Amino acid sequence: MFNLKKYRKKSPWILHYNAGSCNGCDIEILASLSPKYDLERFGVINTGNPKQSDIFLVTGPVTFRSRERLVELYTQMPEPKVVVAVGSCSCTGGVFRGMYNVEDGIDRYIPVDVYIPGCATSPELIIDGLVKGLDILEKKTKEIEKPYKLYKEVSTKDDIVNRRGSALKIGEVDDKN
Amino acid sequence: MIEIILIIIAPIIGGLIYGFERVVRARMQNRQGPPLLQPFYDMYKLIDKQAFIINPYHTILGISHFITLWTVIAFIILGQNLLYVVFLHLLSSIFLILAGFSVKSIYSHIGSNRELLSIIAYEPILIMLAVGFFLLNGSFDISIIRENSPSIVSLFLLFLAFLMVVPIKLKKSPFDATEAHQEIVGGVEIEFSGVFFEFLYMAKWLEYIFIYLLLFLFAGDSIFLAIVLFVSVFLLVNLIDNSTARIKMKHLIKIVLTIGLIFGMLNLIGLAYV
Repeated sequence: MFNLKKYRKKSPWILHYNAGSCNGCDIEILASLSPKYDLERFGVINTGNPKQSDIFLVTGPVTFRSRERLVELYTQMPEPKVVVAVGSCSCTGGVFRGMYNVEDGIDRYIPVDVYIPGCATSPELIIDGLVKGLDILEKKTKEIEKPYKLYKEVSTKDDIVNRRGSALKIGEVDDKN
Repeated sequence: MIEIILIIIAPIIGGLIYGFERVVRARMQNRQGPPLLQPFYDMYKLIDKQAFIINPYHTILGISHFITLWTVIAFIILGQNLLYVVFLHLLSSIFLILAGFSVKSIYSHIGSNRELLSIIAYEPILIMLAVGFFLLNGSFDISIIRENSPSIVSLFLLFLAFLMVVPIKLKKSPFDATEAHQEIVGGVEIEFSGVFFEFLYMAKWLEYIFIYLLLFLFAGDSIFLAIVLFVSVFLLVNLIDNSTARIKMKHLIKIVLTIGLIFGMLNLIGLAYV
């Protein structure tokens, strides 16, 4: 009757994190929120708060200092959430790839749903990427919150506990839960 | 009967006002803006989100903030005592402040501190407003105030003082240091998430209803004047919100306390002796 899932698409609140970017992509993100490109017409609010946001916009190659904060911000966001890598640096490391203090893109640490290329990426591409992310957000489920155990009942034969084959296969987990 | 219906749909009306305001602000900045029903889309989305509970008291205090505020709205619509309304509204703010202090986040503590400081700034004006209505009508009862003729001329200085309370309560520039969107990440609401944040979000809509219902008291029995006041104050507050920057907390207290107290006192002395 009342499908709540379709309203996810209509109010994406974004969290913007700078993981060591040169600020070029950050300026473009702010430009896409400004009156000319007007991301707010999709219901976007730039919340600075991970606990109330749906879309995680990350710019910059992950530097040595920022990687812990990146993972912490990711874990503080409630499900369902979408991660968008903005700019060449956060996709692959860009011109900083292979440097001693750079981790070559955010997908080494957190799962990424949408990659937006460009150095610096344009506001049009950011809007396209966000709209793409909204489609993914609608399909995501809250199944990841559901707790389940990975082991089966332990089989006992002649008073000897046999733990062989007690772990579930990946397919079996999906059937059971 | 109509009062009961109004009380039940008060959050919905508040949400519509909030959505309309976002559209108006967008048009003032020459952009399209979100759809009118955007606050309700946000609400449905928040129901569907995962909710983190920091500690039980935090969430319960947040919910009681919303319920107390709804009670305040009910009191005003039913025409109860104006002093009860002012102090019950204070209680709802206290719940929010306690919720802010009940978690470890430093931003939450800063937000609570600023909320307390803003109460120091605007609460005397609300009390003087109640006293002014008492001097004029001989009663604190809102139902009696509503039956009398418009009091905006005799309470004009208090009305000007009240205009400074509106941006504080609605979290608008230049007096939005209590929430301070990106600066302290929303202040007291930082640790709320999912369905529990929704109560705070709806409480924000109820603040709109509260402020505009207090504004209607100036119009007395004239519905036409009430509509004129609502439209003009609505546009004025949004225009000032769009054209000014945020000021510091200590400047907020200085400006609101000095100008508001002087205007209010002058008006009360004038009512009592002239």
